[in-house]
Amino acid sequence: MKFVFFHLMPYTVIDNTDRGWPVPNGPFDPRVASELYRSYVDTLAYADECGFDWIGCNEHHFSPYGLMSNPNIIAGALAYRTKRAKIAVIGNLVPLNNPVRIAEEYAMIDCMTGGRLVAGLMRGIPHEYIAYNIPPSESWERQREAVALIKKAWTEPEPFGWEGRHYRFRAVSIWPRPFQSPHPPLVVSATTIDSARFAAEVGATMGMVLLADYESAKEIIGIYRETAREHGWEPTPDNILIGMHCCIAETDDEALEALRSAQNYFQNVLMTPQRNAQRIVLQQTRYHRDEQNREHWEARLRKRAVQSLEEQIEAGVVLCGSPETVVKQIKRASAELGCGIFNLTMKVGNLPDAVVRKGMELFRDRVRPHVGDAVALAER
Amino acid sequence: MRQRVTLSTGELTYEVVGAGRPVVFLHPAGGIRWTPFHEGLAREFELYVPTMPGFDGTPVHESVRSMSGLASVVGEFIDRVVGRNCDVIGHSFGAWLAAWLAVLRPDRVEHLVLEAPAGFRPKGSPGLPREPEALRAALFAHPEKAPPSADPQRMLANHRILPHYGGGPRDTDDELVARLPEITAPTLILRGTADPLIPDESVQLLRSRLPHAYLIYVWDASHAIEVDQPERMLRVVESFLQRSDAFIVNWETAAVG
Repeated sequence: MKFVFFHLMPYTVIDNTDRGWPVPNGPFDPRVASELYRSYVDTLAYADECGFDWIGCNEHHFSPYGLMSNPNIIAGALAYRTKRAKIAVIGNLVPLNNPVRIAEEYAMIDCMTGGRLVAGLMRGIPHEYIAYNIPPSESWERQREAVALIKKAWTEPEPFGWEGRHYRFRAVSIWPRPFQSPHPPLVVSATTIDSARFAAEVGATMGMVLLADYESAKEIIGIYRETAREHGWEPTPDNILIGMHCCIAETDDEALEALRSAQNYFQNVLMTPQRNAQRIVLQQTRYHRDEQNREHWEARLRKRAVQSLEEQIEAGVVLCGSPETVVKQIKRASAELGCGIFNLTMKVGNLPDAVVRKGMELFRDRVRPHVGDAVALAER
Repeated sequence: MRQRVTLSTGELTYEVVGAGRPVVFLHPAGGIRWTPFHEGLAREFELYVPTMPGFDGTPVHESVRSMSGLASVVGEFIDRVVGRNCDVIGHSFGAWLAAWLAVLRPDRVEHLVLEAPAGFRPKGSPGLPREPEALRAALFAHPEKAPPSADPQRMLANHRILPHYGGGPRDTDDELVARLPEITAPTLILRGTADPLIPDESVQLLRSRLPHAYLIYVWDASHAIEVDQPERMLRVVESFLQRSDAFIVNWETAAVG
């Protein structure tokens, strides 16, 4: 079993985001941000010492939800601060960016870390298409074409050009090429039927975050497995990544209280502004190919938004409690979903960094030793 | 309009359309398939399309028994009919032939375009499908765009001529591969990203052995790029023939207002 210490790098010194998305940046204080970056990078580097297998970061725009408009910069900052853990950039928003640039930056990180990059190739959440003025209706076409182009840029030994529908390059030959051969392992988000199929088609690990229940997750995982078989390969548990909020404290009550307050901030301050922009994109464009995919995507978030913390724990979609409780929760999720990678968001909302660090240490001392990979653990 | 010329080895049928600098198009093993790519090309160039002897019911030239021999026939056709230096585009079997032509007649070939070139498969090849539906599936990512001339029975009948030129089962033409560095013409190599017949190794081999070559992958195209993506193929080929090496520069505007 593998564990990702995943971070959104939220800007937590703001109480009101009622004016929607993009969030006005007048109240933004760069001195606070400077301290936050320093502290967050320290925390991410600390995860390497706490037995996490991967350290994860990702891309978001125009809001305090996340301060990583380019997560590759954070990956660069982590390259020489970490020794063992893989750096999982999950991921660059592929249809929003220049695919050749993504191939280049990922290859740089892979070489700088001696082959420790996990390359996330994400489609992005709907409202972020507004940020870079990319038509959401072209999202799938761009994603498919760009991922093929990125793989080509990583693996082609001769200079080449690309004549596509969305991308045209006449001469590409990236320096450096990736450290890993043929290329870094891929993670693709799979929160709809279409995205699960796509992840399997390109041979990527599927990633699923903010689950509302196991039933819909199982359906998606089933589609992923089936499609992989159609394409001649068999996913292992290491190909299924499940993302969850995670709060570990000395006692269940302590963890509950801390996470409840943090999730409140996450839902009501950090998640709020984008809802309207998201609705506009989903209603006005073909970000999702059809109604079924759209409904799948929205139902999950809708259900998730009204779930109490107790209901999330009951549904097994959050890890919260004492170390012993969290071990049980991990084993339950793993047994039910067949997932081998847990993507843990321990900095939930405005949860104090001291609580996060304490949770990381409890994970290291009292969770990690009880959840698989005993041999690997002994080697560490 | 179909025309005929009598060459030293026999009679050759050809068509010529358009006006401008001459371009010779060498057809694939299934025979010529006219597409919007050819129509577009004929708006800017004088396009010569000879039918190789034996294809589409034309008589074979008994003394011509090899790809290099056939390339010499095309060379004589250029001397006698085109009468000027020209650009040469070959598709698949025609690209193999075009490469031989560029080796044997460097004096005549200004630019060379190799579309899904056959004859360079170092790791072997699955061979051409023999069933009509399998053939259509291999040739076209978008069979709905295939013109009526892409009739599978006609294409399969044409495939039966290949052994006459030693062009059937061979995976790699080693003699030609050895002579690739002699090709002086700027060369554009094209491969459809969904082509099941020509692997990446083929075009990579060409790109690495040709002294002056460009390689372009055409997204969402199978073996018959000019059928699947005629506009894209026309854009890149026309740009290459008109601008030569400078075709790698973006000459369009990205201004939005």
